[in-house]
Amino acid sequence: MNRIVIGRYIPGNSFLYRMDPRTKLIAMILLMVGVFLIQSFLHMFVALALVTLILVFGRLSVKRVYLGLRPLVFLLMFTFLFQVLFNRQGELLYSLALHYTILNLSLAFMVVLLWGFTKRFIRFRLLYFLGAVVGIFALLHSISFGVVLGEGTFAVYEQGLSTAFFIMVRLIIIITLSTILTITTKPTDLNLGLESILRPLRVLRINAEEIAMIIAISLRYIPTLLEEANKIMLAQASRGVDFQEGKLKDKVIQVVSLLVPMFIISFQRSDDLANAMEARSFVPGQERTRLHILRWSKLDTVALACTSLALAGVVLLRVVGW
Amino acid sequence: MNMIDIENVSFAYSGKVEALKNVSLCVRKGEWVTILGHNGSGKSTLAKLIVGLLKPQTGTIRVDGVELSERTVYDIRKKVGIVFQNPDNQFVGVTVRDDIAFGLENLQIPREEMVERIERYAKRVDMYSYLNKEPQALSGGQKQRVAIAGILAMRTEAIIFDEATSMLDPDGRKRILSYMRKLRDEGVTVVTITHDMREAVQSDRIVVLKDGEVLKADKSENVLKDKETLEQSNLELLLPLEVLHGLEKKKSTNEELKEFLWQLSLNG
Amino acid sequence: MAIKFERVSFQYRGVDDKGYLALADINLSIAAQGEFITLIGETGSGKSTLAQHMNALLAPTEGRVHIFGVKLTSDKKKNRKQRLNPIRQRVGLVFQFPEYQLFEETVLKDIIFGPKNFGVPHEEALERAKKMIQIVGLDESYLERSPFNLSGGEKKRVSIAGILAMEPEILILDEPTSGLDPMGRNALLKVFYDIHEKLGKTVMIITHDMDTVYEYAKRVLVLREGALVYDGEPPGLFSRKHVEDWNLELPEILRIQRALEERFGIRLEKNPTSRKELIEALGEVVM
Repeated sequence: MNRIVIGRYIPGNSFLYRMDPRTKLIAMILLMVGVFLIQSFLHMFVALALVTLILVFGRLSVKRVYLGLRPLVFLLMFTFLFQVLFNRQGELLYSLALHYTILNLSLAFMVVLLWGFTKRFIRFRLLYFLGAVVGIFALLHSISFGVVLGEGTFAVYEQGLSTAFFIMVRLIIIITLSTILTITTKPTDLNLGLESILRPLRVLRINAEEIAMIIAISLRYIPTLLEEANKIMLAQASRGVDFQEGKLKDKVIQVVSLLVPMFIISFQRSDDLANAMEARSFVPGQERTRLHILRWSKLDTVALACTSLALAGVVLLRVVGW
Repeated sequence: MNMIDIENVSFAYSGKVEALKNVSLCVRKGEWVTILGHNGSGKSTLAKLIVGLLKPQTGTIRVDGVELSERTVYDIRKKVGIVFQNPDNQFVGVTVRDDIAFGLENLQIPREEMVERIERYAKRVDMYSYLNKEPQALSGGQKQRVAIAGILAMRTEAIIFDEATSMLDPDGRKRILSYMRKLRDEGVTVVTITHDMREAVQSDRIVVLKDGEVLKADKSENVLKDKETLEQSNLELLLPLEVLHGLEKKKSTNEELKEFLWQLSLNG
Repeated sequence: MAIKFERVSFQYRGVDDKGYLALADINLSIAAQGEFITLIGETGSGKSTLAQHMNALLAPTEGRVHIFGVKLTSDKKKNRKQRLNPIRQRVGLVFQFPEYQLFEETVLKDIIFGPKNFGVPHEEALERAKKMIQIVGLDESYLERSPFNLSGGEKKRVSIAGILAMEPEILILDEPTSGLDPMGRNALLKVFYDIHEKLGKTVMIITHDMDTVYEYAKRVLVLREGALVYDGEPPGLFSRKHVEDWNLELPEILRIQRALEERFGIRLEKNPTSRKELIEALGEVVM
């Protein structure tokens, strides 16, 4: 649990921490747009290197951030495999004949079972998973005797491979960028920045202050509600609810026994909170002064100029067609 | 001059029996009044009526001479602050500093003055070193102290404690009690709503509620010793006063002992 | 012994792997019958953590907990292999603010929820519900009402009836009277005392109220920063040394007794443990 870095603020001190949250939000958006415009392998690697440089100069642990992406490894791998297997455009790079016979299908099935049973004892699960996948392909390729149910090919096309690569690196960069933002910005500051950026939307009758207030209060109460949910689960477990086991029908009752109290508590809380806010002279929509104000510094101007230049560069490269 | 005047107020939640029936009472400026009553006696409803969170069906409420109405309610909330029962459900800010700031932001206090008031009132409730802490890192009693600072920073003239100590441990409760005493000594009007006799014992006057009606309103000493009235409202005498009551029933003339028991009840 | 703790420690895993030791080297045993125990300690001293070990909601990170023959250790796999659910029927745990666990449409359905989870037949569960609603001081007409239209005190009683209907051998209650007015509190304490006296069950109450400790308990456990520092009879707890060292509040009965002794030299022959006894005893001496 504690190693997850996505979405968490980790106190520290570097230029990233000193930047105005507005700058960070805008810069992140600019860089993300840039990453989507990149079309060559070389430029993509440069982008990845640059992002890593930001981490290094921002005194964030590169290892920690990239290891923190681990929960997303399966998502990344899935996207990669999906593209490689189903995108069949461009030049054929590699093909492998596959035979679907009763024997090798059942062997493949056994490999899956074996993998499922043994994976919890293996340290390098990802490698083990890859090994299992390769093993299945090897089986399907090499055993061709017995009752043959069908034939197929595993083929890798140039376009598939490159699209897969681009999607994966883009995802990694985007997630890293947003992680940089959340690691270095307190939720309150982030919220304040968001409010400030959304303010022009008043023309569309969107009240940025109210949105910010709602986000702030949600941030404030999420830990409290989680704690509450945990308590109720324990209380219901004491009444014989076994959250680990049970048939579908039991599951439904288990969920109800958790959700109904949670709803009631949440309503009670929001009612109390509304009263407390009103009693302290809060009037929705009324002008308020603010304790926290955002300060724009030279650093922000520089940072924004750099990111704008980077984006402009990417656009130029795209137009020129390198 | 009265800080709060309540005249013939009745209130019922929709579809339910009356929570308050024709209640009249007053709180003088600078006074500490306890509103005592059993669970469901309507005492918390009364608190919500005073700050205009609920509207009485009949009767009038005046705060500092101004009648409560839709037009005056915002001014009245600047004069009367309220600390609620559940410490968790009134902490608006992400940190102690933000929470004390909340009311000030609503009053549109300039930023520099806000900073100054936050620090001053955080010190007053001994929470200065906690200014950057998040609510999860605080005990219930500490959260209630932050709530008090938030109200004091708004410079209200009166402060209502609506069962504000009932969810706290003994240390937290004692601490809040000591702030109540301090506030009264500084001239702030204090109203405590409770069923805890130890909270009532220090106040100047006590109003006892039973099933939404005023059973008795008198000087604290007279109410604290009134076994019959208290028991009617599901309350009990403080033990030293119970002993005193027993002695008086036996027509004891040991005045020294009686006085000693009275003193004993005051510093329980 | 029904519950036995052997050198039990429990460490919460906190942020950044910095642990927080909630229980430290606890040894104690509790009988399945006839005990009336209070568990006291400051906020954060580990009271609730200790209680949650007693019905296997938590397992120790060091040491062993035996509950009705089931052994729990830090070995999670071994713990999981045993059936823990039956323990929770035999050791009923009522959480603080139990009113928040109510969720069914009627009081009846909520009370039989626990028993039915433990496989009690429907008919018998109904019988138990009728019995338990009376034991907690409400009448049968409550059974058909919605639990959400009850007062705070009534909700508390209903949720306690729900645990009682599981017919646990040991009943543990975490601050069961908080928020109740004096009469409500006294009435509920009387209920627990009756469960102990008339049904012979072991009852353990977690509390901050020294009057409850002094007036009801036969045994008191004191936790300080996760360590069990006292396990014995209540009168022994309030020696001057303990009161000073552990910053204890004196029960009112003792406070008055001691003050009168100090000021007037009044000595009582036997130690009164209830308000009534104190008044009677003083009446005799003073008159």
